[in-house]
Amino acid sequence: MAVVQLSKICKRYGSGGPVVVDNVDVTIGDGEFMVLLGPSGCGKSTTLRMIAGLETISSGTLSIDGRTMNHVPAKDRDIAMVFQSYALYPHMTVAENLAFGLKRRRTPSAEIERRVRETAAMLGLVPYLDRKPQALSGGQRQRVALGRAMVREPMVFLFDEPLSNLDAALRVNTRNELIKQHHRLASTMIYVTHDQVEAMTMGTRICVMNGGRVAQVGKPLDVYWNPADTFVARFLGSPPMNLFTVPLTGGDRVGTAAIETVLTRWAPAALAPLAGREVVLGVRAEDLHLSAEAAGTAAAGRIRGRVFAVEPLGAETLLAVETEGGTECTARLPRDTRATVGAVVDLFFRPEAAFIFDARTTAAIPASPLPGGGPSRAGAVH
Amino acid sequence: MSADATVPPAAGRGGFLASRTALAVAIIAYTTYTLGPFLWLATMSVRTTGEISADHYAWPRPFHWEQFRIAWVDSDFATYFWNSTIVVVTAVAVVTLVGAAAAHALARYRFRGNRILYGILFSSIIFPPQITLISLYQILVDYGLYNSLLGLTLVYVSLQLPLTVYLLEGFFARIPQDLFDAAKMDGYGDIEIFRRIVLPIGMPAIATTLILNFIQLWNEFLFAVVLITDPDKRTLPIGIRAFMGDHFQDIGMIAAGVMISVVPVILMYIFFSEKLIRGMTAGAVK
Repeated sequence: MAVVQLSKICKRYGSGGPVVVDNVDVTIGDGEFMVLLGPSGCGKSTTLRMIAGLETISSGTLSIDGRTMNHVPAKDRDIAMVFQSYALYPHMTVAENLAFGLKRRRTPSAEIERRVRETAAMLGLVPYLDRKPQALSGGQRQRVALGRAMVREPMVFLFDEPLSNLDAALRVNTRNELIKQHHRLASTMIYVTHDQVEAMTMGTRICVMNGGRVAQVGKPLDVYWNPADTFVARFLGSPPMNLFTVPLTGGDRVGTAAIETVLTRWAPAALAPLAGREVVLGVRAEDLHLSAEAAGTAAAGRIRGRVFAVEPLGAETLLAVETEGGTECTARLPRDTRATVGAVVDLFFRPEAAFIFDARTTAAIPASPLPGGGPSRAGAVH
Repeated sequence: MSADATVPPAAGRGGFLASRTALAVAIIAYTTYTLGPFLWLATMSVRTTGEISADHYAWPRPFHWEQFRIAWVDSDFATYFWNSTIVVVTAVAVVTLVGAAAAHALARYRFRGNRILYGILFSSIIFPPQITLISLYQILVDYGLYNSLLGLTLVYVSLQLPLTVYLLEGFFARIPQDLFDAAKMDGYGDIEIFRRIVLPIGMPAIATTLILNFIQLWNEFLFAVVLITDPDKRTLPIGIRAFMGDHFQDIGMIAAGVMISVVPVILMYIFFSEKLIRGMTAGAVK
């Protein structure tokens, strides 16, 4: 178990090359399950590889339990890593794959045997110990890769999109298996993914990355309900948060003819400097309803638009609507919703469910503490 | 699917049989074409030169097995065989080890001049090796290695190394980087990774280059005949050539010598054939 600290970590390829990781400043606590989340090319895997020692660090400091690791070779960092491709040695059996790291560390053979058996039993791999990787299914290979990391009992576990090669059902099973193993081992784990469901369900905290920078770090639901900017707001949530660029017409109102809302979470004084400027209004798909009653308030915000797609998913129905200004938005509605393509509809939302972002910087404009506490963000969701 | 659905219709069966027959005929014809000369040589190896002169294609009657003893003992084939073995086995071992290490370095490590080095190696494959003969001769004379088995071994290494590196680099480059990273995370250094990961995984390709180099060098004549002059340092191809005079050729003895010389090649092929085929078809299927 260990504390992993990244201080102003940068990665640049070549002297004049692009900066792929830019000033990453994150501390991962002992026993924490930190998820690095972001789209392809955002620098999350490079950050993980720098922690592993597989990439050099251009600047900044990486320390584990207070010890600077920048120049410590990967083999001496006592870190285990599970790769997206599993990276099992094809010429070795499952047992040999599991024991490979222990042999290098001069572990006594009886101890190797015990730990391999124990890990294999834990992951249901005992019947496959004598098989080569090509004779295993994708899920079994995944478990061997996980076992190879676990058997070493390292200080830190790293996972580089380990579930992305599995089918949907197996992904859910393996995700639960990983959560279980994290609770059992209580080790520090750093997990890279572009899948927000994995991040939300597995992470103690998530670190959302964009363009090589950390966009936001926090507990999954905190980040979901308080996104730092429009990127985080759209990246977390499926469908992504609906965003509308609209003028701030007063201290307490925002909108156009097609979008009207009252801002109840922001004190007028806080919004006064932005008066007359454009802001970005954000509303999550699940907060849009077909009537003010369904939204739960008579003073609901309203978005008017024309339906251009109806997606009945069984458990729910997604309604895709285009506003007069040409902005597209999606509403997640009950499964029995009936709507026709081409119909003009009004979508309602509670003012408390709205988000406001600065149109220029994309940063969230924090809501002001309201007298008496005011309605909570979570309270806006049903 | 019902069982009936798997039975081809009568017309389809006829077409299938015809195509299989045509294929069989083509294979038999090709095998006869390639194996025929070898079998003819084999029959000549147990006939005397006089018998061969009387009738080139006659069946051996009787079988003169003593031809092999004469070739091996009286005609110094044992010496030639031993010389060939020393030179070729040493050269192939060095080429395989150095070639695999160089190929691994070129395929795996990013360093300045990597592609330039690779380009130089590749360019040396393009030119015919004969153009280096005079310069190599001079170099061996300058270093006192002319007319020595060590000199010939070094020349063989330099001849085969570029192609070996080229073939192995292509194979090694396809080994996923994640395997190397996983081995590093497991605590292994570069040399250990080469020994425990690259060599075992690359064995099909290594076996391919090994057998190709062995065959090539075992049968090499030009450099050996130029760079070796002493009779007791001759390799097998030059030894066989010694039976050819300006006015008389001991065909029976030449055939016996050739049969002796192909035995190691056949054994090598039998030993490595499975890996050779896997190496040649590597990457053909996922």
